[in-house]
Amino acid sequence: MKISLQEIHSNYEGFSRLIQLATQTAGCFLDDIEIDMSHVGWIDANMCAPLGAVLYMVGRDINSIRLTNVPASVETILSKNGFLCNYGWTRKNDIHGSTIEYKRFEPKDDRYFADYIEKQMIGKGIPEMSPGLLKKFRASIYEIFSNSVIHSQTKLGIFSCGQYFPRKHRLDFSVADLGIGICSNIRERRGLTLSAEEAISWALEGKNTTKSGPIPGGLGLKLLREFIVKNEGRIQIVSDKGYWELSEGTVKKRAFSEPFPGTIVNIEINTADAKSYRLVSEIRSEDIF
Amino acid sequence: MSSQIVVMVFEVVGNGICVSSDDGQKVHDQIAAALREKKKIKVSFLNVESLTSAFLNAAIGQLYGKFSEETIRESLAVAEMEQEDLALLKRVVETAKEYFSDPERFKKAREDALEEKDAD
Repeated sequence: MKISLQEIHSNYEGFSRLIQLATQTAGCFLDDIEIDMSHVGWIDANMCAPLGAVLYMVGRDINSIRLTNVPASVETILSKNGFLCNYGWTRKNDIHGSTIEYKRFEPKDDRYFADYIEKQMIGKGIPEMSPGLLKKFRASIYEIFSNSVIHSQTKLGIFSCGQYFPRKHRLDFSVADLGIGICSNIRERRGLTLSAEEAISWALEGKNTTKSGPIPGGLGLKLLREFIVKNEGRIQIVSDKGYWELSEGTVKKRAFSEPFPGTIVNIEINTADAKSYRLVSEIRSEDIF
Repeated sequence: MSSQIVVMVFEVVGNGICVSSDDGQKVHDQIAAALREKKKIKVSFLNVESLTSAFLNAAIGQLYGKFSEETIRESLAVAEMEQEDLALLKRVVETAKEYFSDPERFKKAREDALEEKDAD
């Protein structure tokens, strides 16, 4: 089977193309799958996370995957972040330190994930981020990973990748899983039947949670949303057929014609944000409980 | 013998990155065991660099399903927490109180807690 891929940006069209790839390859078994990249003039490097998730699923069904005609500029960036190492390329040195490596984690790899984030964030340094912002950003990434581990029920892993765009003062980071998706989770655990995009909205609002066991939950995505609004960044969430985006204070919701086989959370941070993340009023430890 | 038990989060987790629910569970188990023995407990967050709601929900939030608010308020204290982390913990505590205000959830959590105690 030969599939031609197009440019992939972090937007509705980019996610649509990855869903199309997942749909085209679903059901392939013991097949030779050539992905022709000659029309991929650009790929936002963070989108390697959902692309890697789709290709991992294809590879699990014992298909051989060949990426062909990769344009030189795309090859350079995807060799620097380690994505192409999975498909027969060797790694290239990232002398500018602008990539956050592509990785796949098992759900139990939380310590390994933390180590990866500390090395990628602190080891390389994101020079213009204030310490308060960096702390919030790291915490947000950990919230996304924890959310995937707790809610996705994935056995196929969690995929992550990021890219720092110094001239735009933006840092994009994506986490993708191949789990049951937000919509099914809400239906199974809360008995609510919502469209996929409304299900994402539900998960980000008020005190909503699908948790039912002894450990409370439901805060992670709300904290992420609050931070991104203050930072004037962007969140995009794709789950099943749903697309949800928060950017410049506005929420956009759309549906895809086919589902993504899991959930993708992409955050874009405004790294030039000089706002203080210190609290306005002091909280006393005696007043917590 | 000291009248107050000190739980060092850094020591229990093994580093300052306190982000996973499983690591939070380890902290919870120590706090819960001490609360059952009616001890006063101080949980120190000294040297903790990163915290998530998932960690704090497991470590502290779930206590509200097993112990009364009064017991927790009288017996538990936190120390060496940065202001932002205190704010996060406050949110986690409020969420936990709300979560266990659902009688079904509270009943289930209490039953689980009694089973845990019997298994000790």
